[in-house]
Amino acid sequence: MRQFVVATVIWGVVGMAMGVWIASQLVWPQMNLDLPWTTFGRLRPLHTSLVIFGFAGSAQFAASYYAVQRTCQVRLFSDTLAAFTFWGWQSVIVIMLISLPLGYTTTKEYAEIEFSGAVWMTVVWVAYAIVFFTTVVQRKTKHIYVGNWFFGAFIVVIAMLHVVNHLSIPVGWFKSYPVYSGATDAMVQWWYGHNAVGFFLTTGFLGMMYYFVPKQVGRPVYSYRLSIVHFWALITLYIWAGPHHLHYTALPDWAQSLGMAMSLILLAPSWGGMINGMMTLSGAWHKLRTDPILRFLVLSLAFYGMSTFEGPMMAIKTVNALSHYTDWTIGHVHAGALGWVAMITFGATYHMVPKVFGREQMHSTPLINLHFWLATIGTVLYIASMWVNGITQGLMWRAINDDGTLTYSFVEALQASHPGFVVRFAGGVFFLSGMLLMAYNVWRTVRVGDVAMAEREAQIA
Amino acid sequence: MIEIALNILAAASLWLGVEYCLRSHSAQSLDDASLMPFADDPEVARRVEQATGKTVKAVAPPAPKPGWGHLEL
Repeated sequence: MRQFVVATVIWGVVGMAMGVWIASQLVWPQMNLDLPWTTFGRLRPLHTSLVIFGFAGSAQFAASYYAVQRTCQVRLFSDTLAAFTFWGWQSVIVIMLISLPLGYTTTKEYAEIEFSGAVWMTVVWVAYAIVFFTTVVQRKTKHIYVGNWFFGAFIVVIAMLHVVNHLSIPVGWFKSYPVYSGATDAMVQWWYGHNAVGFFLTTGFLGMMYYFVPKQVGRPVYSYRLSIVHFWALITLYIWAGPHHLHYTALPDWAQSLGMAMSLILLAPSWGGMINGMMTLSGAWHKLRTDPILRFLVLSLAFYGMSTFEGPMMAIKTVNALSHYTDWTIGHVHAGALGWVAMITFGATYHMVPKVFGREQMHSTPLINLHFWLATIGTVLYIASMWVNGITQGLMWRAINDDGTLTYSFVEALQASHPGFVVRFAGGVFFLSGMLLMAYNVWRTVRVGDVAMAEREAQIA
Repeated sequence: MIEIALNILAAASLWLGVEYCLRSHSAQSLDDASLMPFADDPEVARRVEQATGKTVKAVAPPAPKPGWGHLEL
């Protein structure tokens, strides 16, 4: 578990640095170095894979192992199998780190890892499921805490999505062809793609929210009944929203409308969960003045609320006609990825590190505070620049002259986007700087870890 | 018409499912469940009790075994 915490920080630095690098390529194209391995097309999937599976994945392994032991009041089922999940998962990330720049890719977004890597990933994930669910089965409590329901759903659904989307016929270790074709292939991919967001980047993190927000605030969750309604409504609805990625394509129109309708309904459970998390601070809002860890957790909920409002709006077909294929989508994804996923991970990590490494608190609280502001400024710069770019691009692409010809060429829209690319790059630098501060702070905390205190604190860890 | 019926059926299934999950829970048991994150740490549990007036059923963690706190980094 400690290893997963450290891996979260390491992959966070590497993955976000990769993001800043490719952002710089859109500002200065020569940053692709004229090498095939470092072109945007190869590094962009590497960036998403490293931050999703390396950073966010390691964070969820760490948080789920941490929370399940404490809420079930037992040790993990098997230390050996848990260690296997750590090394196995890290090897998956290393496979991505090597194979994607070399050009080995399925070309499916967020599922680029080729056949043999994908099979190995499944093996590691099954081991994770065994460790987690056996620990839940062996619990000493009567009730299974709601955070563990979210972690459990995340594990089960990701396994299903990964296996179904990766069904393919291999013709070599790193080359395969999907068993689906045409619109079916696209639908399966976006069923996977949207639920990669819905379950890998939302459900597991809601499990994290339901444990770490109450723990950091020192108050029970606002409404436990609402958390159960939140759980069932979220997992019932999320799985249907994928077709909104395929508006105005060869996908049957009824499927597009279904995706749009389900996306709109999804606003209700998303905001129910967000309000439940926020209201947990009732009577304890004053703690935000002095606790930067709590600030991270609360701001993550605010961004969760904002991006889960923006998502359903963008799923409306007429809005999507303007926003799709533009930078607005990139901005929306990063409102969720930076604002929600990364912020709650920072909060949870700052909460866990002192406890599992036997320290009273993090090495430096002012550094946590500085990290908070760098991350906030970086996220706002990123989102705002992509809104401006996205709407500019959407309007320029659809503008037509009286004779029906296009008013602007694609290159003109690209030139108009350049200032936005610069601001986005600056936002990325802010965010990465905060991440580097976190790495330093964690390193200084871990370096002087007290074995005796860790033994006391980590009797379950 | 069939679409409206299916929509109502879907909403009713969700409502019935949630009610089924909550059938055996009283207000007290839901309160107890919401306090579970604090149960492993008696010191935090005391602070939560002071703030909320609710009772946390804190349990002492199991005694450490050799190697449990081993720092591998």
